[in-house]
Amino acid sequence: MKNELYNRLSAPLKKIGLSPLSVAAFILLALFPFVSPNAYITKLGITCIMWGTLAMGFDFSVGYINVSNWGYAGLMGLGAYVSALLLKFFDITPWAGMIIAGCTAAAIGFVIAVLTMRMDAMFTALLAWFVGIVLQNIVTALPEITRGAMGLNVKPIFRGASPTPYYYLILAICILTFCVLHIFVNSKFGFSFKALGQDIEAAKAIGISPFKYRTINFVVSCFVAGLVGGFYGHYIGVLSPNVLGTKNVVQILVIAYIGGRGSIWGPLLASFLLMPIFESMNSLVEIKYIIYGLVLIISMIFFPGGICKLPEKVRQIIKDRKK
Amino acid sequence: MLKLENLCAGYGKLDVLWDVSIEINEGEFVAIVGPNGAGKTTTMRAISGMIKPKSGSIVFNDVNLEKKSMKDIHDLGVSFITDGGNLFPSMTVKENLYMGALSIKDKTKRDQLFEKCLGLFPRLGERLSQPAGLMSGGERKMLGIARGLMSDPKLMLVDEPSLGLAPAVVLDVFKTLKMLSRNGVIILLVEQNVNTTLKIVDRAYILEQGKIRGQGTSKELLASDYVQRTYLGIE
Amino acid sequence: MLNILLSGILRGGMYMLIALGLALVYGVMGIPNFAHGEYYLFGAYATYFALTYLGVSPVIAILIGAAVGFIFGCIIERLTFAPLRKRNTGEWVTNAFMIGAGIQLIIQNGVQYLFTANYYGVTQLFEGGIKLGGINVSYDRIVAFAIAIAALALFWLFLKKTKTGISILAVADDEVGAMLMGVDIKKIHTLTYGMSSMLAALAGGALISMTPAYPLMGTAPNLAAWFTVILVGVGNLSAVAVGGLMVGIIEVTATYFFGAQWQNVVSLGIIIIILIFKPNGLFGRKSKV
Repeated sequence: MKNELYNRLSAPLKKIGLSPLSVAAFILLALFPFVSPNAYITKLGITCIMWGTLAMGFDFSVGYINVSNWGYAGLMGLGAYVSALLLKFFDITPWAGMIIAGCTAAAIGFVIAVLTMRMDAMFTALLAWFVGIVLQNIVTALPEITRGAMGLNVKPIFRGASPTPYYYLILAICILTFCVLHIFVNSKFGFSFKALGQDIEAAKAIGISPFKYRTINFVVSCFVAGLVGGFYGHYIGVLSPNVLGTKNVVQILVIAYIGGRGSIWGPLLASFLLMPIFESMNSLVEIKYIIYGLVLIISMIFFPGGICKLPEKVRQIIKDRKK
Repeated sequence: MLKLENLCAGYGKLDVLWDVSIEINEGEFVAIVGPNGAGKTTTMRAISGMIKPKSGSIVFNDVNLEKKSMKDIHDLGVSFITDGGNLFPSMTVKENLYMGALSIKDKTKRDQLFEKCLGLFPRLGERLSQPAGLMSGGERKMLGIARGLMSDPKLMLVDEPSLGLAPAVVLDVFKTLKMLSRNGVIILLVEQNVNTTLKIVDRAYILEQGKIRGQGTSKELLASDYVQRTYLGIE
Repeated sequence: MLNILLSGILRGGMYMLIALGLALVYGVMGIPNFAHGEYYLFGAYATYFALTYLGVSPVIAILIGAAVGFIFGCIIERLTFAPLRKRNTGEWVTNAFMIGAGIQLIIQNGVQYLFTANYYGVTQLFEGGIKLGGINVSYDRIVAFAIAIAALALFWLFLKKTKTGISILAVADDEVGAMLMGVDIKKIHTLTYGMSSMLAALAGGALISMTPAYPLMGTAPNLAAWFTVILVGVGNLSAVAVGGLMVGIIEVTATYFFGAQWQNVVSLGIIIIILIFKPNGLFGRKSKV
């Protein structure tokens, strides 16, 4: 699109992490509740935006510094419980609670990053996985505080049953995350992240401190998890330790993977494609899960780069045929 | 006899070798010389089966190698000694050498080969129980070559044997290889060090940018204007 | 105190088996195997069915369990990891997790579909027990531990003394080097994975009277095996045996003092403390030349 207007708009927008295309998309999303036929569809929209934001945060790590954060659902769940419990025991408003939730998750992310600073990505992923599981254990093991598996009732942020205010809240969080992550990615931080993700030794050789940049990236990514988690608790209204489970990690992984690594917007888009499918899988029939498992394996083997690389592959095939 | 005909090979979309044709007979000590990135290692990788050629043929003792697996090619008597060595760092020198004889079923023969290797590289004999990961660069090179010998090969592909070795050691290694070639083993070297190489080998091919630019006996090449100008720094 | 130690050692013995298989696959094939616990499950179910429907002696049943684990391991490797390796990309880490999750989903749900979520256990394999230092130890526990130690010893001999075993170690050290020596890489990968599954299945079968078979039984051993691998340092095979014992003892002690739900928290806490002082794990990483 070599359109004059498009180019003139792009530059200033890029500074705040947007582009004409994404602005248009967000405007459409903002108008969505008005055209949504019923509350269920709006709620589906909330789900898509929420998991899309999580997937963006996840991709910020995996697509750039090449660290797969397998404790991501655990951190999100942690955020949910933190915000919920702060409200329940200390009457702290959810607006502050969500931020604190993000900070808590970020703090844990910091610890993980520091502990594994000399190790490779695989190790960080494993440790994050352990942390996620242990967080889940802790939540289950403290029923006096968290009500464990019995479920914790969370007071909602907004009064009334309408999902619309929640929609706009999560959309705001999503847009904020989108912009901030893009600003990072387009800055020298992004350059450093990518360099570290590709070749740590080479990056070190040109003076990029792995410790500093990996930590910053990981902490930001974890903050997103905690923030969205905080929202989640007050939106859904009830929490259980399952939120921190591996099932959710796989879900986020799938969305991020299909969205394509290292694109930020890709996972968000993929969420809209996939969440409706995931929602329909909520009934516990084993056969569905077996098929899901098969699909996972087959796509990992035949599409290791993510299905979003498919248009690229198709373009290559067409190019090769033309030769 | 080893014969490469119109070999084209590369990595994915990258083409490295174009129409490379080489012929080496039993008992010959031949080198491929050329600058860095010319495709010398790629040639060896293609012969050993590490990469599959895109077109052309590789025939060794009347057997076509292009479609064969690395294991099958190894079992036909081909031994590829990489420039890094690909040694087993947590295994001792002795264990590394014995791994080289993996395909030798006869224990007596294996022990004989072991003695022979130690005779050729006495330094290794002093370090038999040392883990390969703790050896110096030069020692590792020697171990790599010795290990490559343990399979009693009929064709040896040696990638940059002189790299990292002291000049005196280089001469020793080259002399050993020459002696092996006189005993019937085909030895194909790949080298950047044109000067020393041409003084020892029988023949050489000049590989530049993936194509054979010239070939001849060592005498011919040393005397040629082109080689003198390009590789020996003689105006 | 002694009871804790004995329980810890027994559990640790099993963990040694399971963790060794895991470390082997990771070291030889470079794949983190997240479905490792499912082979433990295969062993348990197979042993149970061998006992109840084939009516064989306990030891035979356990061996059948191990064999089933081996067979399934080889089949799964051929179907999933072998094709993945052919299309080798740099996204190992994420892909391996997903494949593991996929395999887990299929096996857990498949087993649940075929056998329901019921627990399939036996009360005991062998009658009676002995007294060790004043504590009753059942023969079941002793036999299980003996099997674990015997299996480990045999496996160790296999790795160090047979040509195939040495080839496996060579591949773990330098895969290209092994290929240059004429090692059949595909066979080694399948064999390694199969043997790793066999070890896990053996543990699952040996414990059938203590842990009944049920669909989600693989999750805990999987986690414990990974704890062990991280604790000991990635790439260390010999140390894994010690690590397995340690994790077993840590877990039992933690359960005794804090309750079962805090078991993982304590394990992770200890791992974190160790990582602070020894970032490469208790025994460090293998060096790559």
